[in-house]
Amino acid sequence: MTATDLAPAREQPPPPEPGFATGPGMAALLRPHAWSFAAVVVLRVIGAVAGLAPLLAVVELGRILLAPGPADPARVWAAVIVGAAGLLVRLVFTAASSAIGHVLDDRVQLAFRRRLAERLGLVPIGWFSRRRTGELAKVVGEDVSAVHPFIAHTPGELVSAFVVPLVSLVYLFTVDWRLTLITLIPVVLAVALVPLMMTPARLREQEEFDAGMGRIASSVVEFVQGIAVVKTYGGADRAHRRFLTAVNGFADDFLRMVRGLSRPAAGMQVALSPPFVLVVVLAGGAILITDGSLAPADLLPFALLGLGLTAPVAALGHGFDDMRAARRAVGRIRDVLAVPALPEPASPLLPRGHRVELRDVRFGYEEGREVLRGIDLTLEPGSVTALVGPSGSGKSTLVRLLPRFFDPARGSVMLGGVDLRRMDGRELYRHVSFVFQDVRLLRASVADNIALAVPHAHREEVERAARLANVHDRILELPRGYDTVLGAEARLSGGEAQRVALARALLADTPVLVLDEATAFADPLTERAVRRALATLGGDRTILVIAHRLETIADADTVVMLDDGLIVERGRPADLLARDGRFAAFWRAQRSAIADETPAAGTAVVETAATAGAAGTAGEETAAEETAAEEAAAGETAGGRASRGGTPR
Amino acid sequence: MIRTLLRVLGDEHARPLRRTVALMTAAAVAEGLSYALLVPVLRALFGDAPADAWPWLAGFGAAVAGYAALRYAADLSGFLVGTTLLRGTYRRLGEHLTRLPIGWYDAGRVGEVSVLASRGVLQALSVMAHLLAPFVGALVTPLTIVAVMLAFDWRLGLAALAGVPVVAAIQAWAGRALAATDAERHRRDKEATGRVIEFLQAQPVLRAGGRTGERFGLLDDALREVQRASRRTVLAALPGVVGLTLAVQAMFTALLVLGAYLAIGGGVGAAELPAILVLAARCADPLLSLADMGGQVRGARAELDRLDRLLRTEPLPLPRVPVEPAGHGLVFDSVTFRHGDRVILDGLSLEVPEGERLAVVGPSGAGKSTLLQLIARFYDVESGAVRVGGVDVREIGADVLMSKIAIVFQDVYLFDGTIEDNIRLGRPDATEAEVRAAASAARLDEVIARLPGGWAAGVGEGGALLSGGERQRVSIARALLKDAPIVLLDEVTSALDPVNEAAVHEGIERLMAGRTVVMVAHRMRTVRRADRIAFLDGGRVVEEGSHDELLRRQGRYAAFWATALTPAPGD
Repeated sequence: MTATDLAPAREQPPPPEPGFATGPGMAALLRPHAWSFAAVVVLRVIGAVAGLAPLLAVVELGRILLAPGPADPARVWAAVIVGAAGLLVRLVFTAASSAIGHVLDDRVQLAFRRRLAERLGLVPIGWFSRRRTGELAKVVGEDVSAVHPFIAHTPGELVSAFVVPLVSLVYLFTVDWRLTLITLIPVVLAVALVPLMMTPARLREQEEFDAGMGRIASSVVEFVQGIAVVKTYGGADRAHRRFLTAVNGFADDFLRMVRGLSRPAAGMQVALSPPFVLVVVLAGGAILITDGSLAPADLLPFALLGLGLTAPVAALGHGFDDMRAARRAVGRIRDVLAVPALPEPASPLLPRGHRVELRDVRFGYEEGREVLRGIDLTLEPGSVTALVGPSGSGKSTLVRLLPRFFDPARGSVMLGGVDLRRMDGRELYRHVSFVFQDVRLLRASVADNIALAVPHAHREEVERAARLANVHDRILELPRGYDTVLGAEARLSGGEAQRVALARALLADTPVLVLDEATAFADPLTERAVRRALATLGGDRTILVIAHRLETIADADTVVMLDDGLIVERGRPADLLARDGRFAAFWRAQRSAIADETPAAGTAVVETAATAGAAGTAGEETAAEETAAEEAAAGETAGGRASRGGTPR
Repeated sequence: MIRTLLRVLGDEHARPLRRTVALMTAAAVAEGLSYALLVPVLRALFGDAPADAWPWLAGFGAAVAGYAALRYAADLSGFLVGTTLLRGTYRRLGEHLTRLPIGWYDAGRVGEVSVLASRGVLQALSVMAHLLAPFVGALVTPLTIVAVMLAFDWRLGLAALAGVPVVAAIQAWAGRALAATDAERHRRDKEATGRVIEFLQAQPVLRAGGRTGERFGLLDDALREVQRASRRTVLAALPGVVGLTLAVQAMFTALLVLGAYLAIGGGVGAAELPAILVLAARCADPLLSLADMGGQVRGARAELDRLDRLLRTEPLPLPRVPVEPAGHGLVFDSVTFRHGDRVILDGLSLEVPEGERLAVVGPSGAGKSTLLQLIARFYDVESGAVRVGGVDVREIGADVLMSKIAIVFQDVYLFDGTIEDNIRLGRPDATEAEVRAAASAARLDEVIARLPGGWAAGVGEGGALLSGGERQRVSIARALLKDAPIVLLDEVTSALDPVNEAAVHEGIERLMAGRTVVMVAHRMRTVRRADRIAFLDGGRVVEEGSHDELLRRQGRYAAFWATALTPAPGD
């Protein structure tokens, strides 16, 4: 696989129809296929009606044979030929209808899935966080498949289930209207039983059963997904019992529904069954024939065609479940298609430069709970801004506004003087790249994963980025090096995956880089890679980093201290330390938190490693000594930076 | 198919299932036999004395009543059996799943089994409940009718009988031809589902790659493959459907032609032939419906096969006479473990005396996590032994072993419930106060204070509403509540920034106090809490000792920290 394979498929999607955003109806989605649909239905109906020919041939044969005098061979053979021809037409037309229907179905399903994927690629990222991935995947997969009977079977079958009996009925009426009415008795009986199946109690049982079906599915999923965890806590039996209770409850619901339904359903089944219809037809025929008002030969069409009259009732009962399932599935598909896309500007503006400004930005994931409560912040090109603050202060949310995962509820985020909302999406990502903790690699080659944003990058460039991200050597150890398909041929550890993500961002080489430094704590190699990236990038770049390491904080041009969605302090690190406010307190807390893993200690270890066997190594230093050493180091760093003052980087 | 079903269910369900099938067969035979009375009825009606038909008609009516009664009994029995099947299948599946080794549950498996257990089982069973009776009827009724025809006119009967092997052969051939394309289609569906999930989860990075608003190549390819596979299935199914229809219709045509020939020659009565042709029509209709049912029955069979395969996966053997471990020391005695072809642990020996803390350090792929998993018996070793309290873990009862061990992993799975539910998993009978104490020891109270809904706040699917560090704290609280003598920590703090780590430091300390601890760690702060360190590489222990000893030795361990902390070139 090469990087170009990842390139978007060449065909352009059709332009969205007007009103698309408000949710298209089934009809709109199916309109392009109207002719094929018509063909499916027409072919099916012709085939089904032709299927009456052999029955009529038998009727004709009976008339000829039952007529007094010797049978006329020519008429007999004519009837046989018509019957055989009818069978052939039925075979060919039905097969054609079915084939076209299924091919059409596949095409419609592909179109639906592409539409869904397209829409899901445009909705705000925030929308996903409130939904289960599995459920969305189900909409794209199963729900689209559930539409199958709607397209491939139902139209043709339903139409022919009504047209054929109608044709038969007209014919039978011309033969004898009294016997026709008698033949309809079973149908009437069956229809009369329908209300018994639709009583409120029955409907409630149905609903309970449907709901139970959903519950059982989700309790199975939870049982399976949690079983590994549950087992480690020795609670497998308990979980198993709970699961079985759910199963039993469901089975009871099912039985209750069946008990209620079984009588009317059985009555309906019997009324519609061929033997019962035949008994009714023959009894009626016997009465009419014995009183001499019906020619015996006229009974035959009723014995043959009369059975088909029950088809509509049976079809309605049979296809009903599928239809209901399909309708629910279509509902879910429409809901997804109706989600408004993250709006793109009609006439996008180009950013001038890459200064990032946040003006009075307010944002919350849900109504009434603001995570960011009015942020004003400017990130200058060529500067590193370190974002610090306690857990839950809004750091992660703030950095996610830059790549426009969300739009602020109020205020604006601007790049090069242009509000992100007025920029073309692709233009934005030419400017902004990011490395966050929740790395997601694609099941594609390593090279493709790194070159995601730059699909046509040369292998050398990919390798350079990988080297810079400290992951090149590890990639070479994989079975097929850069061509190894991740997830299929090899799995990477969390830290390795984060280094690949870092390589991705480095290769994209955007003027704005947003980084969560917690990424660095996956393992020593990742930590080193992140440090190196921060050190080497610089230049004219605008860098925003959620900083955790004291050196990163000390080295930043500006520190922004966030608490509870507000900027509580900002400035150069040394100045802030001198001010002895919130940041200084935070700094001290941080320092004591990592008291035994300071740069000073680290350096000491390195020295140990380098100057073989020197006594009194860092390892033996007490925590107090380290703290003192580290304090000095930090103070010096911060102070050093302060003394350099406004030295441009 | 019935055989697979019986194997899946176990023997105790064989009898009711067989009885149901027998009832369905009886109903179908009764239907076929009742048609036999059509011939004398029609013969009388078409003859000179139509009133003679009445006794026959009464008989026909009685036969139909008998058929109706049998059919009702068969349907009801079908539903009852369906319910028992549902309970039985889920009981067996559940029991089996609880016995499979934890190591068996990788990410792909979990998804696959969830789909199979929820949709697959229900689909297979609903097909059984709704389609079994029509299926049996469609096979048995025509056969009975053929026998009836034979009784009335051996020539026409033989002609009909000739069609039977043809129809059977076509059914069998079509089924085999489709099995292959069905499997292919299933594979493509799975592939596409994987791509859809990837597409959804990778949205942020895909967008950053400028891959939105256009088609994402990998997903689109998978979707197109689904379409192609589906089309292949349709094309593969077509010959079978057309063949079956053709065979049935040819049979009907042959009867029509033969009957016409015989009638012209006077070889068959004018009243019998139409009656027999009515029978032939009754024979053809159910056979044609076989083609429609085929697809659903095949789908159900495929699900049953998958279920059967799952149930035949070997669980870890249980000890015949479980032995209680004496104490909580751990021993690896020249343990070799392979995953596929890859040797993960290669004759590794290691000892952790009771109450000692061992840190396991090493490059990725060294086998560190496997080491922990073998203690908790996620897998069994290939050779050598892992001993807890002097007893091989394979000799310890599964519940006893698990009750001795508390595990905190880097990837924490939380149930979609409240934080409290998730902590309580550690010890379901813990008191409210104990749960709260564990939570505050893991510093979860500050998280709870921040969440809307507090204690009752849901954690989302897999804990998605919490950050990585917060999930970790829940997991620590869980382990604290469990209060087990052996504690396994797998890179617990690597996902935490220093502040978060400081927050859980106390919790971890309390978790480790006075216990036998094995921890896999990357961070020096954590490693230095250990009494002893084992440096793993290539599935072996290459260095062992205290932090200071190992640093002084200037070996692999010292070099490891040097890599971590040297200023990178270019600084």
